Amino acid sequence: MNLTVNNTLPKNYGYTNNNNRFKHQQAFTAKAQVPEELINKTMKEPSKFFKYFNEKYDQLSDFIAEKFTSRIVESEALTKLADRFKNSDNFYQHCLTIGSVITSGLYVERTLNNDKMEKDRRNTLAVNQGLTFVLSTIGAYALDKYLKGWWNDVTARFAGHLVQDSNFYEDYLKQKQAVKEENIKILAAAKSKGVKPELKSMPKVTKLVEKHSYYKTLLKSSKDDAKILMTKVRGMSPLRAMIVFGFVYRYFVPVVVTKPANMLCEKYLEHKKAKENNIKK
Amino acid sequence: MKINSILYDTSFKQDNIRLHSESHNFREKNDAGLYEKDRGYNVYCGSFTGKSKPAATVLKKNFFDKILASNWFGKLAKYAEEHNISASALIALVLAGVMRPATILSLPGKEDKDDKIYAAGHAIASGIMGFAVSTAITSPFDESIKKIFDDKKFRREKFKAIDDRIAELTAQKNIGHITEAAKQELKNLTKRRETLNTLIKNIPDWVIGVPRAILTIALIPPILKYVFGVEKKKKSASAQNKSANTINITEPPKMDFIDKSVFEQFKGGVK
Repeated sequence: MNLTVNNTLPKNYGYTNNNNRFKHQQAFTAKAQVPEELINKTMKEPSKFFKYFNEKYDQLSDFIAEKFTSRIVESEALTKLADRFKNSDNFYQHCLTIGSVITSGLYVERTLNNDKMEKDRRNTLAVNQGLTFVLSTIGAYALDKYLKGWWNDVTARFAGHLVQDSNFYEDYLKQKQAVKEENIKILAAAKSKGVKPELKSMPKVTKLVEKHSYYKTLLKSSKDDAKILMTKVRGMSPLRAMIVFGFVYRYFVPVVVTKPANMLCEKYLEHKKAKENNIKK
Repeated sequence: MKINSILYDTSFKQDNIRLHSESHNFREKNDAGLYEKDRGYNVYCGSFTGKSKPAATVLKKNFFDKILASNWFGKLAKYAEEHNISASALIALVLAGVMRPATILSLPGKEDKDDKIYAAGHAIASGIMGFAVSTAITSPFDESIKKIFDDKKFRREKFKAIDDRIAELTAQKNIGHITEAAKQELKNLTKRRETLNTLIKNIPDWVIGVPRAILTIALIPPILKYVFGVEKKKKSASAQNKSANTINITEPPKMDFIDKSVFEQFKGGVK
């Protein structure tokens, strides 16, 4: 009978000790004992309640798609609007602004029709609300434009993680720098000739992802996964607008702007009242 | 009984040990990369070599990269693209429901503590209401848009014709036989489709804007009262008289107008 013994346990296991090592091995063995099929089955199959709910939700969205959305998509007005704004870089921002105009308009209308307030106060408050909205919207657009370049870099970094390429971000920066330098030359040449310069556009992250080998391979192996990846990259642009406009409308205006604006409004009303009193005297 | 003692090297090695007698050509054909130096671990003893290129990339990640590489951030970006209105309301919930109350409560001034608590509760309730109503109403619409634009179901004639034309031009582009005019047409059609997608995703927001605001205004007081246990305290008559008597145009203006309901309701901007 032959017995083989390994009598040299590691003296130094680097960053961990022997006890941890054995614990780790034990944990791994325990996980391996659960059949993979069972895990997949449990994770994929929803419970009866959720299954019923999902079915009903699916039926509802089918109904909306067939009876409402498909008709709206075909409508002449929307087609014209889409055609008109197809080259706009801020289209989603405009959509957010329209939503805000409707909501703020409601508040202004409620102020103007508030019988509990004097007419003067009502009008001044409505103007205050309107001006606050207009100025904050201009601020939101300005902040969004200011952050756009930086956010594109963040998007490239994010895309680099998605396509699992540590050089993706650096490559993007290099291309961006090359376009910048080229545009400087084009500008200088156009200035000397006195013609309108035709500047080159900055590299787009979505285009770079489309050309990346990882994405191409993914597209061949799993179209759904490739679609999800691209959706994530595309989602970065609306995400920026949401954060910027949300920050301005839902945080900056109520916390920083509203109180000083109301103080100014009240000061104006006091001043007006004092002036009227002086005239009466 | 014969006992053989062998020496397995399981120490923390920085490289794999080549103890094999096979020829170089045999290794190249059959090792499947087992001998690569940048694998990061020794395939025979499993120890970490610290030389893996992917591992080095991971180790270089800073906090910002960790956020970008995280699963939740990817999900957020996907959600922002697929559900514009709901994601916007989610961001608003974080800003109005977490950041704004935190700022309000951290502002100095002990006298108006109750007002601050009420204002903070109001902000949280407004954020929750906005998110809940937006998500509940617009999610089925978003799903229907996804079915038309991504899954290509329920398409009617005109939209189907656009999709078919895009597919045709894309095929031409892929094989490299495309004219400049056709290239421009493809670009225009793709942009118009994307704009239409964004537009249709945001129309429900405009439609529900007014009812949502009215519902939010109506439901905030009961939510504050029964969920958060916060109620607007009315000022005592004596305090009101006192403030009325002391109004003087030379004094700085009083801030009591801020407590009026119209100011509480006015948030400006979205939702």
